[in-house]
Amino acid sequence: MMTEHVLSRRAFLRAAVAAGGITALAGCGSPSGGGGAVPLAYWNFFVGGDGERMVGLVDTFRDEAPRTDVTATTLAWGAPYYTKLAMACAGGRAPDLATLHASRLATFGKELVDEWDLAELEARGVTPDQFPAPVLERVTIDGRLMALPLDTHPLVLFYNTEVCAQAGLLAADGTLAPIQGAEAFLDAGRRAAAVTGANGIAFGAADALATWMVFWSLFRQLGGRIELPEGGPAEVDRDAMVEAMAFLQTMCDGTIASKTLDGPAAPASFASGQAGFLLIGPWEIVTAQNAGTPFSMTQFPAIFGDVPYVRADSHSLVLPRQAKVDPAARSAAYDMAVSMLTNSLDWARGGHIPALSSVAESPEYLALQPQSAYREAAQVVEFDPDAYFSGSGSTLMSRAGQTLQGITSGALTPDEGADDLIGWLDQQLTLGSPV
Amino acid sequence: MSAVGSAQNTARAGGPALVGRAGADGGARRSLSVGRGGPWFVLPFVLVYAAFLLWPLVYGLGMSFTDTSLVSPEAEFVGLDNYAQLASDPLVWRTLGITLLFTVLSTVPLVLVALVMALLVHTGTRGQWFWRFAYFAPFLLPVSTVVLIWQWLFQGDFGLLNAVLGWVGLGPVGWTTNPDMALWSVVLVTVWWTVGFNFLLYLSALQAIPATVYEAASLDGADGWRRLFSITLPLLKVTTGLVVVLQVLASLKLFDQAYILYGGSGGPAGNASPILQYVYDTGFVNYRLGYASAISYAFFLLIIVVAVLQARLTSRKES
Repeated sequence: MMTEHVLSRRAFLRAAVAAGGITALAGCGSPSGGGGAVPLAYWNFFVGGDGERMVGLVDTFRDEAPRTDVTATTLAWGAPYYTKLAMACAGGRAPDLATLHASRLATFGKELVDEWDLAELEARGVTPDQFPAPVLERVTIDGRLMALPLDTHPLVLFYNTEVCAQAGLLAADGTLAPIQGAEAFLDAGRRAAAVTGANGIAFGAADALATWMVFWSLFRQLGGRIELPEGGPAEVDRDAMVEAMAFLQTMCDGTIASKTLDGPAAPASFASGQAGFLLIGPWEIVTAQNAGTPFSMTQFPAIFGDVPYVRADSHSLVLPRQAKVDPAARSAAYDMAVSMLTNSLDWARGGHIPALSSVAESPEYLALQPQSAYREAAQVVEFDPDAYFSGSGSTLMSRAGQTLQGITSGALTPDEGADDLIGWLDQQLTLGSPV
Repeated sequence: MSAVGSAQNTARAGGPALVGRAGADGGARRSLSVGRGGPWFVLPFVLVYAAFLLWPLVYGLGMSFTDTSLVSPEAEFVGLDNYAQLASDPLVWRTLGITLLFTVLSTVPLVLVALVMALLVHTGTRGQWFWRFAYFAPFLLPVSTVVLIWQWLFQGDFGLLNAVLGWVGLGPVGWTTNPDMALWSVVLVTVWWTVGFNFLLYLSALQAIPATVYEAASLDGADGWRRLFSITLPLLKVTTGLVVVLQVLASLKLFDQAYILYGGSGGPAGNASPILQYVYDTGFVNYRLGYASAISYAFFLLIIVVAVLQARLTSRKES
């Protein structure tokens, strides 16, 4: 009986190993899944409202192209996403299509992504002149189109219509009366604060993204420039930097805007009616809508100078570099990218300005309120400085956030803040680029 | 862990018994340790250990002498350049200082609070199981959950902590926004989160002190305080040594709670950015793997020095 038992166990093990081997071999045989469908791997970083809309876009493409088997992978936004994508590209086993902030092309544009073939795009009805000029300029490197913009998402100004009405800040048509200049903006904040009894402007004073977006808009409105040549030192308009920081400090006086509100708390405070304005990207429209706040949105005003330059970025689509490109998958990637672009009206409901002109000029989009109210911002967008450590979710943004938080909280004077940030930039440049 | 404490106790108390038993059925033992089969049983673990610990250790050390980048396939041997660079990199020193400061700031309360908690529970309050559970429960939570809870507690404008301060007539504190508070907030989170572990070590050590010692002391007329200072604390010395060593090593590893609490930004003015975060940022956010390896090996060296010093100190104390 003992022998029998041992034998049967061995037989079982052998059978199991054999079965496992066969399964593994079978797995190797058909990587493309059932029915000869083309497998297409797509990576993105959208969660929340954007995530739902992105799933909608992917599903739309699935319906349009039943012979393409799309695997959509959503990864955590920011440094983790860009690290994984960069590693996948460097290793040659990247997805077929990926989302990228246009501001990250300094790293990815050189070696990690392939250029878009204009002929292939034109065959699908998309040409470069259908994108806003400043965005197109950002995604074009050495005359080659490296990323396909899906949208533009500038810093925008949310306003609570009831609060602003009580504060006498609305024009006759019920929209926000134009605000021009630093004093007018601060005054609007004060008047809104008098109505809410709390803050005038909900602003993430402790949030790297919020502070950077406002700082960069102000800095560019002042004509400030930052050049980051490899090896350093950084070429910075220090006066413009000090002035922009001084404005931030004045704004965060505890009444016009809080000195301490963090990233998630700022939209929450606006949504609950504790502030008349909110300074953040347009994606927070969902928060305000869900809360039932009476609100609208408008372009970030010209606080310095006449042109309302505004910090923006663009969710764009890239073809990550692969060691071996499957032509069928590459073709499907073009199909999917164009499908997402042409169906981006629903994407625009989430607050982003659609990049493709046929969508951006469509009556359906123009009828979207308040989303289309700030569409002109796409013509005056200012992207982050050009360096491997710059862009959305980058070290520059988080490090500048440290400085700017020192400014908003009053721990640093604008002069100290400028020295701090410029000193860090110099140091970072001496390290040499890994790209 | 408690396993460490009890292992020590059994080794000391039950040592001879074990040897005796091994002698009794030595036949069965020999076949396992000397027989051909032994290494095969160890092999799976050795393979995993070699592939995921030893090899990366060696590989990382090699990488620290190159300018390996995460995003470009070419890497050149640069000798000691990375090490020379880190010596003059202010951020290395700054983040190292923050890590060391955190180690001091967190180890003291994590040892003292745990000891006090264990003593209180051990005095024989009713429902000991409840206190044991309540004190240890936070330790079971994942770090992201812990930080999420505290982010709301710390929230400057409508967080619970500032609300409580308001009730007692104190002004709000910028828990996560004030540069001077930034690291203290991380300490607070860490103490709440991990004090239960040290508490458990102390509690098991307390329970291992024989009741007869206290009985004898009582007969000699020693009161509660006298028993605490003359019996309990001296007998807890070994455990305290263990707790301090484990705590210093755990605190030097500071990364996750600080990283999540400040969303990877390093906190206001970067005052809560530990050296491991600088390693992570350098290697994975800024793609400079070679330099990041050099920093982590320099830090590794420092930890070894600390560990050796500590071992020296404790062994001298014991002898």
